Amino acid sequence: MDSPVFELSGATVRYGRGLAPSLDGAGFRVGAGEIVALVGPNGAGKTTALRALLGLVPLEAGRAEVLGRPVRSWRPRELARAVGVVVQREEPAFPVTVEETVTMGRYAHAGPWRALGDADRAAIRRALERADVAGLRERLVQTLSGGEWQRVRVARALAQEPRALVLDEPTASLDLRHEMELFELVAGLVRDEGLAALVVSHHLNVAARFAGRLVLVHGGRVVADDVPERVLEPERLAAVFGWPVAVQRLPDGTVQLYPERRPAAPGGLP
Amino acid sequence: MKPLGGARFTFALALLFVFAVVVGVFVGPASLTPREVFAALTGGGGPGAAIVWALRIPRVVLGLLVGGVLAVSGASLQVLVRNPLADPYLLGLSGGAGLGAVLAMTAGVGTPWLVPAAAFVGAVATMGAVYALASAAGGALDGRVLLLAGVVVGAFAGALVSGILAVSASQGARSALVWLMGGLGGVGWPGVLALAAYALPGLVVLAAEARTLNLLAMGEEPARHLGADVTRSRRRVYLAASLLTAAAVAAAGIIGFVGLVVPHAIRMLRGHDHRVLLPAAFVAGGALLVLADAGARTAFAPLELPVGVVTVVVGVPVFAFLLRRWTARSSS
Amino acid sequence: MAVLRLSARSVLSIVVLGALAACSRPAGRGAIVRVDDWGRTVALAAPARRIVSLIPATTELVFALGIGERLVGRTRWCEYPAAARTVPDVGDGISPNVEAVAARHPDLVILYASSADRAAADRFAALGIPTVALALDRTADVRRAALLVGALAGVTHAADSLVAAFDSLRAVVIAEGDRRHGPRPKVYVDVWAQPPMTVGRGSYLDEIVRAAGGDNLFDDVRASSATVSLESIVRRDPDVILVLQSDTTRVPDLASRPGWGAVRAVREGRILVVDGALYGQPSPRMPLAARDLAARLAHIGPVR
Repeated sequence: MDSPVFELSGATVRYGRGLAPSLDGAGFRVGAGEIVALVGPNGAGKTTALRALLGLVPLEAGRAEVLGRPVRSWRPRELARAVGVVVQREEPAFPVTVEETVTMGRYAHAGPWRALGDADRAAIRRALERADVAGLRERLVQTLSGGEWQRVRVARALAQEPRALVLDEPTASLDLRHEMELFELVAGLVRDEGLAALVVSHHLNVAARFAGRLVLVHGGRVVADDVPERVLEPERLAAVFGWPVAVQRLPDGTVQLYPERRPAAPGGLP
Repeated sequence: MKPLGGARFTFALALLFVFAVVVGVFVGPASLTPREVFAALTGGGGPGAAIVWALRIPRVVLGLLVGGVLAVSGASLQVLVRNPLADPYLLGLSGGAGLGAVLAMTAGVGTPWLVPAAAFVGAVATMGAVYALASAAGGALDGRVLLLAGVVVGAFAGALVSGILAVSASQGARSALVWLMGGLGGVGWPGVLALAAYALPGLVVLAAEARTLNLLAMGEEPARHLGADVTRSRRRVYLAASLLTAAAVAAAGIIGFVGLVVPHAIRMLRGHDHRVLLPAAFVAGGALLVLADAGARTAFAPLELPVGVVTVVVGVPVFAFLLRRWTARSSS
Repeated sequence: MAVLRLSARSVLSIVVLGALAACSRPAGRGAIVRVDDWGRTVALAAPARRIVSLIPATTELVFALGIGERLVGRTRWCEYPAAARTVPDVGDGISPNVEAVAARHPDLVILYASSADRAAADRFAALGIPTVALALDRTADVRRAALLVGALAGVTHAADSLVAAFDSLRAVVIAEGDRRHGPRPKVYVDVWAQPPMTVGRGSYLDEIVRAAGGDNLFDDVRASSATVSLESIVRRDPDVILVLQSDTTRVPDLASRPGWGAVRAVREGRILVVDGALYGQPSPRMPLAARDLAARLAHIGPVR
């Protein structure tokens, strides 16, 4: 990878003096046309790594760069033109339509003043279609299902016409079908338009199916950064997640894991 | 059920504006006939001239300004605290204005200017105190902290007012509260000009931040990711909206309901884009206040009601109608 | 009033109980019993000797009745006559400071009959201090109060003389007013500037204006005080504006009030400033106030 879209290197983040670091010398890269999934147990530092890469938290040590420049040196609108972010949960306080929401994605380009032009409207239309929410244009977002709202937010990020997508636990509250559809959408975007995608996810199996690489984070450090088959090893997973797992290789080459039952304690439940 | 289309909406708004101005000029307790009013307007003298030019027209202009300013300020603050129930006085400004007014009345004899000026200073001081308190929690003025700070500072000011009233020997202190109840008759043309001068910068700033307000309404984090400079925008919006409110209170006392309900009504009718919402709220808020003022002067002539009473009485049924329409729409 | 159906025995019981109650007063012959404006019975064993007056009008009355030395407490608003200022100040009249009053060891407290004072009245009762509540709002109330206070202080003769003098002077002033030539001047009573507040029919100031030969501009308003629109004032075109102030030498600049330039009386400077202490609350000097006002109205010149 010559010039990564995202690069985190030796990053240390501490949320308060005297606290243990949430990120301790972590580092990884994401390039164009890649889907990288950040996985790990709760509190491992996945979200902190994400926030560091987006410039939301200052680094005590190390580098966080987007497109070769330190992320904190980017101006807000500049960064928004490069990176589209889909956060885990969003609750608008006021009734907004889908169209109004996706239109907000053009703020990065149009700024506070400029009227929307044909290019903007085209981008909005493309984003709505690509995320398959064009039919919901006039609906109030409060009336959408969880999956629909998620796709609208992806559409909004797409309207920014970014070089990279960042998704933080995008499927946490989605059912099976919507989860798969979302990942397929992201995979398609990465494939067709050469975006870089960084996804934080709890769902190891789905991540393993779609991500080109898994970055396994534990205790603020990166303990594995490789293709899914090589990262998902039973001993390593058991050590990181604190639960015994078994790993199965599917015919198409993808790897899936399933948690095992704990061996029965003497006199305990089977 | 769709919201009103752009052209229809603009037409309705223009109609409301014209209607309000006509009512404000032609209707009043002095029972002038339309002919007398026309004569006054076209430069003829007559009994109506003094009433129309010295009394009614300044009140109409002031009402348009004050109502407009309150509605715009309310809309902005609702986004800032991410709460549709916010009104312009939520952040302690009414307490500060009251404190200023009471101090002025207790201390000095009123020149007509002393009380409005003192109310303005009091409101600005509260604004500063709330800003300082909320900034301590982070430069971006987090909405919940802002609310808390506003309530606390407002309560503090209110307690001081009560204390002063309890121990003060002068009748002036009590009268300050009467003044605060609001009315458009207090300042005349000089007050109108002063308000316009103070309001203009605030209105310009908010107009500039209109699109950013759309983003901020979704939340701080989404707004940041979409490219908004959240810290700077929130600060600007807070200062502008507070200054606008302070100027409105100085000119007309505390008039409730307009800043809370007009933004909602516009949102229901026309959607959430603040580049449309803010100007529309300005026009609608002004028109509503002018109508309410005409009602306040005339309903029980020769008595005059506090205009804040009428804004509620007129506003509630209108709002209820809109609410029904909107809930029908959102459940479809 | 409900019709009570009583048996002969109940009637007898009531009579006996009533007699016993009356006899429970030790010095039966000196006892004074009156009914106050709350309908309560006020019973004093002997004429009041230590009086606390919580109403400026009754403070004046006490001195006017010649028993000023019996006054042991007054409110801070009681400033007439000058001798009253030497009497200890016990604070506010409305919602009085019960402890401060009780510390004066009064045997009669005169209260203003407002609902805010009910609690205080109960507390005085609990302390065994008799109270009399007076609704002192208008001229007629002043007369009534004079008689009532005079009775409770055992100086009914002085009270009767006072009332007689009061009535006759008032009649004289009214007659003078009626004899004036020309239409009665329309007087706007300026109580507050913004919003404009004035007095309605039957208020004390309205009575003074009428006795002085003028008409209150808003005597069609029933409430004793009212907020009116400036437009109505302009429309009704008062001849004179009456302003109450403590400093009667300074004429307020009404023309600087926004919009008041539309009022003819303001433009022509027909503004009368009178003493707020004399005119502002009911007082036994009401006929003097009316005569004073009549003179000033005559002085301000022909009306139209």
